[in-house]
Amino acid sequence: MSADSATDSSIETDTATGESDRYGPDDGVLVVDGLTKRFGGLVAVDDLSFAVEKREILGFIGPNGAGKSTTFNCITGVYPPTEGTVYYDGQDVTNSAFHRMVQNGMARTFQEFRPLEDRSVVDNIQISLVPDRLFSTSGLRGRTRAKAVELCERVGLGGRLHQAPDELPHADMIRLELGRALATDPDVLLVDEPFAGLAEEDIAEISTLLRNLRDQGTTFIVVDHNMRGLLQLIDRAIVINFGERIADGTPEEITEDPAVRKAYLGSED
Amino acid sequence: MGAETSEAPASDEEFEERTLAEIMDPREFGWPTRLGLVGLATLAVLPVLRGYGFLGIVVNSQLLTNITGAMFFAVFAMSWDMQSGYTGEISFGHGLFFGVGGYASAILQTQLGMDLLVTIPLGMVAAAVAGLLIGFPSLRLQGPYFSLITLVTPIILIGLFTFAPDITGGATGLFTEPLTSGAVEGYVIALVLFLGSLGLFLAITRSDAGIVLTAIREDELAVEAAGLNPAKFKLFSFVLSGLVGGLAGALFVHTYAGGFVAPSDLLALVISIEVIIASILGGIGTITGAAIGGLFLFLFRAYIAQVDLTVPVVGVPINEIYFLLFTVATLVVLFFVPEGVVTRILMRARRRADTEDDDEGPDVAADGGWTEGEPTTLERIVAKFVRELRELTGDRGDDL
Repeated sequence: MSADSATDSSIETDTATGESDRYGPDDGVLVVDGLTKRFGGLVAVDDLSFAVEKREILGFIGPNGAGKSTTFNCITGVYPPTEGTVYYDGQDVTNSAFHRMVQNGMARTFQEFRPLEDRSVVDNIQISLVPDRLFSTSGLRGRTRAKAVELCERVGLGGRLHQAPDELPHADMIRLELGRALATDPDVLLVDEPFAGLAEEDIAEISTLLRNLRDQGTTFIVVDHNMRGLLQLIDRAIVINFGERIADGTPEEITEDPAVRKAYLGSED
Repeated sequence: MGAETSEAPASDEEFEERTLAEIMDPREFGWPTRLGLVGLATLAVLPVLRGYGFLGIVVNSQLLTNITGAMFFAVFAMSWDMQSGYTGEISFGHGLFFGVGGYASAILQTQLGMDLLVTIPLGMVAAAVAGLLIGFPSLRLQGPYFSLITLVTPIILIGLFTFAPDITGGATGLFTEPLTSGAVEGYVIALVLFLGSLGLFLAITRSDAGIVLTAIREDELAVEAAGLNPAKFKLFSFVLSGLVGGLAGALFVHTYAGGFVAPSDLLALVISIEVIIASILGGIGTITGAAIGGLFLFLFRAYIAQVDLTVPVVGVPINEIYFLLFTVATLVVLFFVPEGVVTRILMRARRRADTEDDDEGPDVAADGGWTEGEPTTLERIVAKFVRELRELTGDRGDDL
């Protein structure tokens, strides 16, 4: 690849954290160190390292197939990384089960929506409020119901409580994904492609929602290949391509970066 | 806001916290629930009405015995529905639990001379242990593997029994002590088991566990994303199902079967399949559907086998081809009522209640329910099975 030489130089100039570019457990609320994921011969994520500060909105940018969703899957324990370490809250959580990560305060949304098609919007959100105990009757009484309704209203689904997921327009499916993730009361929320296929006003509205939640203490990592919407939302971005980090910095720095321009912006849409 | 229609807040009842007394208030019940309670009350008083006749049906020992068997069979069906109907992990060999429960109790009694009041609970525990041993490794696998393992284990067990015919009775069966002698005692035991199982399963499936189990049927990854451990809930429902199925099997042997335990009564593949058919006919994933389907199916089979008529042209007595008639009847019901009889009734009742209230737009069924036009629970389970099978054969549609 001709982009490789540019990639190498940008890492050295941009990150300047020494030769090894290693991160320790206390460098942020979520630290990924040397993450590698291989599927057979395919290297989806290649020695990726980054740290997420508390209460920031980190953009995770890269073209389609760059390894963003795979990175999410490895961080959240949907599948184990081939190599590397994930630290959350100072603890090594590599290979933790997905549901355990969620219980520890890390939620995520899915790029391919995963609603429970057999139940209404409010019931979809309610599932995230159910405790992970075999014997629990909180749902029988109205308390979790009221909370689920409140969450629906917070993400803008107040008028669609009783609709089935397959009746929802695209933007509301994203709201439903967000609502289900928020219902787990996360400290860190990984949002996969929130802006895909959305109109400007929906992007603005979801951005406002995320910023408000950040102000209340939630940390966000947002993946999107829609740079325009994302750059207005985020505090800082990491750009990856072919599973490797090619740049990081503020939105301004990112847009100026020659490697990013070459690898990404040129090929947008 | 994107919502073009109703911006009105949801009805107030959603914000109210309900007390347990309000939930149990019979005045709040719909007519299907009331009808069900009347049915249960009828079952409860039936032994007292011995000797009387209604609508041409005389309450005699034969009827009581048939209903006793039907209640056992309904418990078998419910135990299947508790596990397979709710999680969508289809067990093709639930007879294993009934068999392990029945045989463990019978063998302990005949070999060690233990009291039935000890061996029956031990049979129940043995079935639960069997559930743990099979469920722990196999429920971590994809659904089709689980189904295959459950299909094979009772067959293996029957095979093992033939190696030790002195202890197990081999293929013919084993005589042990009966717990009761009269029809009424057996009936009462079956009734207590039936009501207890129904209450237990309803309580669990209508609590939060039911929400999780049905969600597992829909999408396990989504369940994990909600911070819930699907493996734990699946194993729980399987072991619980085994526990109740084992108890029912043990009690069945020592009451209805008169102390005789045979592979064909409990372990055979036919039993496992009949249990599934009963649940499907009644309505999969509802518990009540399995209960009613189980009762009906057993009685239907018992009575059709007694019919003393001959099919005119062919000259075949009906009681010789009852299994054929039974399967044809099953297919007919399945064709016209694919979602199950109980599910259909509940849907009709809810729709009527909805039009009476007429306050909200299109509503989606809450728990175990079904709305017309949606895929039925059976279709969802089959779709899950096919999806998992496709993943196993290497056709992965995951995004990277």
